[in-house]
Amino acid sequence: MRIFWILLKKELHSFFVSPVAYVVLALVMVLNGFAFRAALSVLESAPSEGSIVSWSFHAMWFWLSYFFIFPLLTMRLFAEEKKLGTLETLFTAPVRAWQVVGSKYLASVIVYCVLWLPSLFNFKFAHWISGGQVELPGGAMQGAYLILVVMGMFNLAVGCFASALTANQIVAAIISFTLSLMHFLLGIFIMVVGRKISDTLVDIVNYFAATEHIRIFTAGLIDSRPLIYYLSMSLLFLTFTHHVVEFRRWRP
Amino acid sequence: MIDVQELTKQYAGRTAVNNISFKVEPGEIVGFLGPNGAGKSTTMRILSGYMPATSGRVQVAGFDVFQQSIQVRQSVGYMPEMAPLYTDMKVNEYLRFRAELKGLSGHAMRRRVGEVMELTGVTDMRKRLIGNLSKGYRQRVALADALVHKPKLLILDEPTNGLDPVQIRHVRDLLRNLKSKHTVLLSTHILHEVEQTCDRVIMIHQGRLRANNTPQNLTRQLRSTTLLHLEIDGTGEVAEKLTAITGVRKTTEEKILVHPWRKFTLRVEPEHDVRDAVMELAMQQKWRIREMHRQLPTLEDVFVELSMNAGIPSDIPTHVL
Repeated sequence: MRIFWILLKKELHSFFVSPVAYVVLALVMVLNGFAFRAALSVLESAPSEGSIVSWSFHAMWFWLSYFFIFPLLTMRLFAEEKKLGTLETLFTAPVRAWQVVGSKYLASVIVYCVLWLPSLFNFKFAHWISGGQVELPGGAMQGAYLILVVMGMFNLAVGCFASALTANQIVAAIISFTLSLMHFLLGIFIMVVGRKISDTLVDIVNYFAATEHIRIFTAGLIDSRPLIYYLSMSLLFLTFTHHVVEFRRWRP
Repeated sequence: MIDVQELTKQYAGRTAVNNISFKVEPGEIVGFLGPNGAGKSTTMRILSGYMPATSGRVQVAGFDVFQQSIQVRQSVGYMPEMAPLYTDMKVNEYLRFRAELKGLSGHAMRRRVGEVMELTGVTDMRKRLIGNLSKGYRQRVALADALVHKPKLLILDEPTNGLDPVQIRHVRDLLRNLKSKHTVLLSTHILHEVEQTCDRVIMIHQGRLRANNTPQNLTRQLRSTTLLHLEIDGTGEVAEKLTAITGVRKTTEEKILVHPWRKFTLRVEPEHDVRDAVMELAMQQKWRIREMHRQLPTLEDVFVELSMNAGIPSDIPTHVL
């Protein structure tokens, strides 16, 4: 466990000395600003059932930021070490593969969580400046940030896996972007063809669909099924990553 | 310290290392030689626990490299070829990180990092980003990393690659000083270094073990002739008389020096030392000698001979090779 913390510290260090974390943070803040503005204008124009939280996470701007975060945060993790050859120095120190995979993954999850802190500030600020007229329902807030974190954990695990597959960061980014996008498009698919297909199929697809999860959670409904789905899928992709890393070393 | 038995490593149909066995005793400095692509780096990666062998048994410091990989890695300081390092870290940050990974902590860790920076001469660079360092300094940082946990065994893959002559001498002195505390296995292409530093040489070629002996014995076994350079003041058929000495194969007269000095090169069979006989002949013939110099084959000649499958005809003068 000591080794794990040392590796984690080093990974966080690499995130924050490179410009990547700051560029992503800046972009996410800008796009969050747009999403927030879009949500405010919806609430201004007409009375609405949804809160500012749910409208913010329904804006196109939110989904725009959602896609580029994961490739940018994870593409470096293994690909860069392979390119530099430092994977060799790393694995000739007394470290185990799970410690390496786990520390890289956890570092990316921590950075990801930091990215969403400014949006929290947006909501609090709107609430405060409007003298409480902009309501922040507790359930919606908790639900929204909970689903953001677990969806992030899933996509970051996918990104980790993509990065372990190649020594080229661009290829890693494209793989993780494609996988995240396909996952998202499941929800769009239902929106487009929802009435033409059987209800069972709609239910099955909705079980996987990110848009549907966001809709439920930002409304303040905390459903255990998506949580279990995302967490178990994260674990699955981390296991894949571990195997890829180990396999490269133990290939006969 | 190292016990390799019948080690074989295959990559997708290509055999990189073919059934090699050797041992390294504690306290030895062993040079690991061979042309590029001979399987040196592969063997060293297996020894350091980075890669598994296809077959064979490898023990390092009493631990099996496959079954007890963590213990092996704890006892080995490995410096990979090209010295890969994290370019976004500062020298002292990097060394502290590595020292912590290898089990040091707190005050002891800081002191040890200071020591190895001093040993390898990177103390002045400790606040610099590794990405901004020259090749020579990166090489030394990698060496400092290999040394930081006081490993029983150092495995260094071309540690002097890319260094300037002064730095090479520095590394050589460093390795000699380490000898009392560590066992060292190093690969290099600078054979002069090996002759000066190593107790023993292991040579591989095309994945097979070609030689395993002291540098002195290897050069002695070489089939090439030794050369004897002579400068003589003598008239007449000097060359013929010299060739008549037992053990001399051939005498050639080189360019004439300032009169009356003449220069000869004798090719002598390796098992003979004809210097006494030459001296006697000179006294008997009333020749004056102002230089007599014996040139033994170097490790470089051994290396070239073993690397060439056909071998070398024995009458090619060694300095031509």
